[in-house]
Amino acid sequence: MNARAIAPDVIAAFDEEIRKLHARVAGVIGCVLATTDGRRVSAVVDNEADPQRVSAMVGSIVALGETIGREVMIGRTQFVAVSAVDGMILLQRVPAKRDLLVVGTLARRHTNLGILLHETGIAAEAAARILDDWLGRDLQPA
Amino acid sequence: MSEELKLLFAGAMGAGKTTAIRAISEIAPITTEAANSDHTECNKEETTVAMDYGEITLATGEKLRLYGTPGQARFQFMWPILATGALGVVILIDNSRPDPLADLELYLDAFRALADGGAAVVGVGRMDRCPQPSLEAYAERLAALDVVVPIVPADVRRRDEVLTMLEILLQQLEATWAYDEAIGDGLSGHGLMGAHP
Ligand SMILES: Nc1nc2c(ncn2[C@@H]2O[C@H](COP(=O)(O)OP(=O)(O)OP(=O)(O)O)[C@@H](O)[C@H]2O)c(=O)[nH]1
Ligand SMILES: [Mg+2]
Repeated sequence: MNARAIAPDVIAAFDEEIRKLHARVAGVIGCVLATTDGRRVSAVVDNEADPQRVSAMVGSIVALGETIGREVMIGRTQFVAVSAVDGMILLQRVPAKRDLLVVGTLARRHTNLGILLHETGIAAEAAARILDDWLGRDLQPA
Repeated sequence: MSEELKLLFAGAMGAGKTTAIRAISEIAPITTEAANSDHTECNKEETTVAMDYGEITLATGEKLRLYGTPGQARFQFMWPILATGALGVVILIDNSRPDPLADLELYLDAFRALADGGAAVVGVGRMDRCPQPSLEAYAERLAALDVVVPIVPADVRRRDEVLTMLEILLQQLEATWAYDEAIGDGLSGHGLMGAHP
């Protein structure tokens, strides 16, 4: 998959999911959808953070989280969390048939972690359906 | 701890950092490969997104901890993280890329502290298929940049050639340390203040 080659309507569908996630959870101040190799696909960020840089980092951290998870044999990684003084970041893989996308959600301090997890999971599943549909569509004979 | 040296592999996407560490590591290497989504930059299936890690014990008993960087520029934030505590860097160049001399400059600049301290070696790959730029051209560019580091042709798929690069790097390091000790100041060069054995 070449991120540049994602069809415009697919990008629009991803944008819509990212926008919805951002709107639906109070305290969420940014969402990024990126390729597993760290390229920006879709992003909404309220602060000054640069979505391309953040996308690269999301890719790295999900990979590192999964790598250490494998190393210590605790099974498949579900999400990676960063908890900071003024907020938190939740990162997870988009559970599509192919491991091509990751999602990251940035939230203010005091955001409920359970809700954040649940809602990020819903967005990730929606993104997975969009990706699977698109890749399936590509496989259809023209 | 003092017998363990941390070394880094840097260089452009596809130059062979992951391959080099795989070629020589005596432990199963730790890798963080993801599907490559940009085949225009480099036509390979996977790319490193965080780091590689491997280990090798030399005949001298020294244990080397080998860290591979992700090559693509967007992962530059990982480079200083991985460089922390590194005593030397192997800069790998792929001579088939559009502008290998510019690659050299980019990675030298990123690891300038090590290069200036004589703690770097440059390995140029795929010279058989792409003889240009020549090793002389590299030497000229290095001279223009005022850095003194050895340049060798290297096929990262070959264990012996990767080991040769490491040997050259270690010789460089030892020479620098001997010099530092001779002039009684452990602070010159890479500024690692006695971190070496
Ligand atoms: N034919 C040929 N292939 C080479 C040569 N040197 C390296 N390769 C191949 O080039 C590829 C290098 O890929 P990697 O080791 O993943 O490169 P990397 O530097 O880790 O790249 P990133 O992690 O994406 O930054 C491997 O498939 C090697 O087998 C060479 O001299 N000739
Ligand atoms: Mg690599």
